[in-house]
Amino acid sequence: MLDYYNVLDLLSSEERQVQSVVRDFLDSEILPHVADWWEKAEFPTHLITKFGEMGLLGANLPAEYGCPQVNNMTYGLIMYELERVDSGFRSFAGVQSALAMYPIYKYGSEDQKKSYLPNMAAGLTIGCFGLTEHEGGSDPDQMKTTARKVGESYLINGSKMWITNGSIADIAIVWAKDEDQIVRGFIVPTDTPGFTANKIQRKMSMRNSITSELIFDDVEIPVTNILPQAKGLSAPLACLTQARFGIAWGSMGVLESVYSDALSFSNIRSTFDKPIASRQLVQDKLVDMVVDHTKGLLLATRLAQLKDAGKMQYQHVSVAKRENARSALNGARSAREILGGSGITLDYSVIRHMLNMETVDTYEGTHDIHTLVIGRDITGQNALV
Amino acid sequence: MNIVVCVKQVMDPDTPISAFVIDEVEKKVVPAQGIPPVVNGYCENAVEAALQIKAQEGGEGTITILSLGTDFVMDVMKKPLSMGADKMILIQDEHVAELDAAGIVNVLSAAINKIPDVDLVLCGQQASDWDNAHIPMGIAENLNLPCITSALNIEHTGDKLLVQSALPDGYQTLEAPVQSLITVNNLFGEPRYPTLKGIMQASRKSPEIWSISDLGVSSSELEPFLILSELKIPVSEGNCEIIEGEDDADSGRLLALKLREEKII
Ligand SMILES: Cc1cc2nc3c(=O)[nH]c(=O)nc-3n(C[C@H](O)[C@H](O)[C@H](O)COP(=O)(O)OP(=O)(O)OC[C@H]3O[C@@H](n4cnc5c(N)ncnc54)[C@H](O)[C@@H]3O)c2cc1C
Repeated sequence: MLDYYNVLDLLSSEERQVQSVVRDFLDSEILPHVADWWEKAEFPTHLITKFGEMGLLGANLPAEYGCPQVNNMTYGLIMYELERVDSGFRSFAGVQSALAMYPIYKYGSEDQKKSYLPNMAAGLTIGCFGLTEHEGGSDPDQMKTTARKVGESYLINGSKMWITNGSIADIAIVWAKDEDQIVRGFIVPTDTPGFTANKIQRKMSMRNSITSELIFDDVEIPVTNILPQAKGLSAPLACLTQARFGIAWGSMGVLESVYSDALSFSNIRSTFDKPIASRQLVQDKLVDMVVDHTKGLLLATRLAQLKDAGKMQYQHVSVAKRENARSALNGARSAREILGGSGITLDYSVIRHMLNMETVDTYEGTHDIHTLVIGRDITGQNALV
Repeated sequence: MNIVVCVKQVMDPDTPISAFVIDEVEKKVVPAQGIPPVVNGYCENAVEAALQIKAQEGGEGTITILSLGTDFVMDVMKKPLSMGADKMILIQDEHVAELDAAGIVNVLSAAINKIPDVDLVLCGQQASDWDNAHIPMGIAENLNLPCITSALNIEHTGDKLLVQSALPDGYQTLEAPVQSLITVNNLFGEPRYPTLKGIMQASRKSPEIWSISDLGVSSSELEPFLILSELKIPVSEGNCEIIEGEDDADSGRLLALKLREEKII
């Protein structure tokens, strides 16, 4: 792992072991194929149960629900390694863990936890998280999807957009407004009549992650499928805080990958009889990358310490998500530049990471939305609305 | 069945040549900066073999990992425990570097004798640092155990082991008593990845640390027969020859002939 400041020395032996084992696993199972899958816009669903066996799904949730119950530092390192390979895999595991399993764990009944979480940890049940709609994902409170109680059922109507794992999910965690205009969460089995998932085509980013539109046409689910503890928009936002924590870590995996490619390329590539690594303009870019990686890794590590100590606030996560996603995007753009023409082919990782990072910088709260969240926190003035 | 697996910590064989440094005066390999050691690859295959045998027995028995070395890196050495082994004994001693193969064999044999009720001993066929392949056969000789090398499959039936052992052009199946020493290499199959649960369980296990003096090995048994007189990095020369034929098939044929001429195939 790229570690310019010996940050790994701050970690425990188990945390470092997990990092290195997950890297070995991904380097042999995914890395050799990832560019092909990306080009063909395929997600290798056959690997999902392997992720489950390794313990990569819901890793930080309790052992009583079949999860490894590692700490948040370890969870972060897993996200780092997944995203170093491709953001699509971190997205898959992040959605499964933080946006599908976590809401059940946090807001679900004991029956719901027992019946869903072990299979989700094993990768036998896949989940997705439906919050964003066609209109303005930055403002989820304007959602149009509704849940109407009819007898012992809820009828869900509306649609969701940009839903990761949507077309491969067995269950969707759907956020909808009830008759009192309160946002509630529902576990919707995707084989329920009236549910449709349309895979979004022609994406130029996150090509090996499945993204879908979900449509609910009088989807009838039993009242027992409501998440009893989730009342109001703060519930899905708290789930997003969990997922953004993973992005803060994952982005640094991307930065390591593009920096390593750029560094080795610049040492091999010679122009005017000298390796391009010997040029000040190239070094300037490489130094920015390694310094950004060092800062981002320190931010992520401290964030994990705060989370493990129960002191993490959502604005801390906004800082790390905003900073790390943007620096990885910038690093990927610089690496692409250093690789010259070679940088535009899938033979190197940089163009794939660069395009993926356009999504990462946007989803789970755009860069600018996080600026406004932090701005509101430090000034007390809300510029969002 | 109680199995002892001998495991060695070695420098990472993927260490780039630029990071491979030796101290010619001290006649030692200098550990590469920032590149952690690894568990020897064939030893991981041997751990996998032990785990498969234990699974065949319905989880009965104990797998003990035994290793001799000087500076153990725990993040690395715990890997067999994370894969599912039960116990680990590390013989940590600053004098290990002074031992030759015979001395190492004597120490490991004494350690195996000290572990109660050992049935089977498994070893990686050889270690990727020096590639000598001396130790397993030496232990078998010392402990008077039958020795089977390069196992492809090990099956426990009744009071016997059926072992498929690789030959250059196939394999043979051998019957052996349970009390045997078997060596394993990559042909046995990929070692499993430790799972997160395995790593967490291993974190609760502490290795037993022994030293050579705990084992009652006499100083004459540690006296080296071999003395390292010189250690150098070989100078390698690169040479590129383009084989051209009339068409692709002809080029391939000529390439094969050339490789045979050079005794590469
Ligand atoms: C590949 C992919 C996967 C996704 N997966 C999921 C998922 O699994 N589940 C889910 O629910 N959603 C998912 N999303 C949706 C994602 O969270 C939204 O795209 C994101 O929140 C932005 O919403 P929007 O695209 O509607 O943009 P908008 O909200 O319309 O924003 C457009 C632009 O306006 C800016 N803007 C908006 N409001 C303000 C303001 N008040 N002040 C200043 N500028 C503002 C934004 O910063 C942005 O630049 C995914 C998106 C993508 C691309």
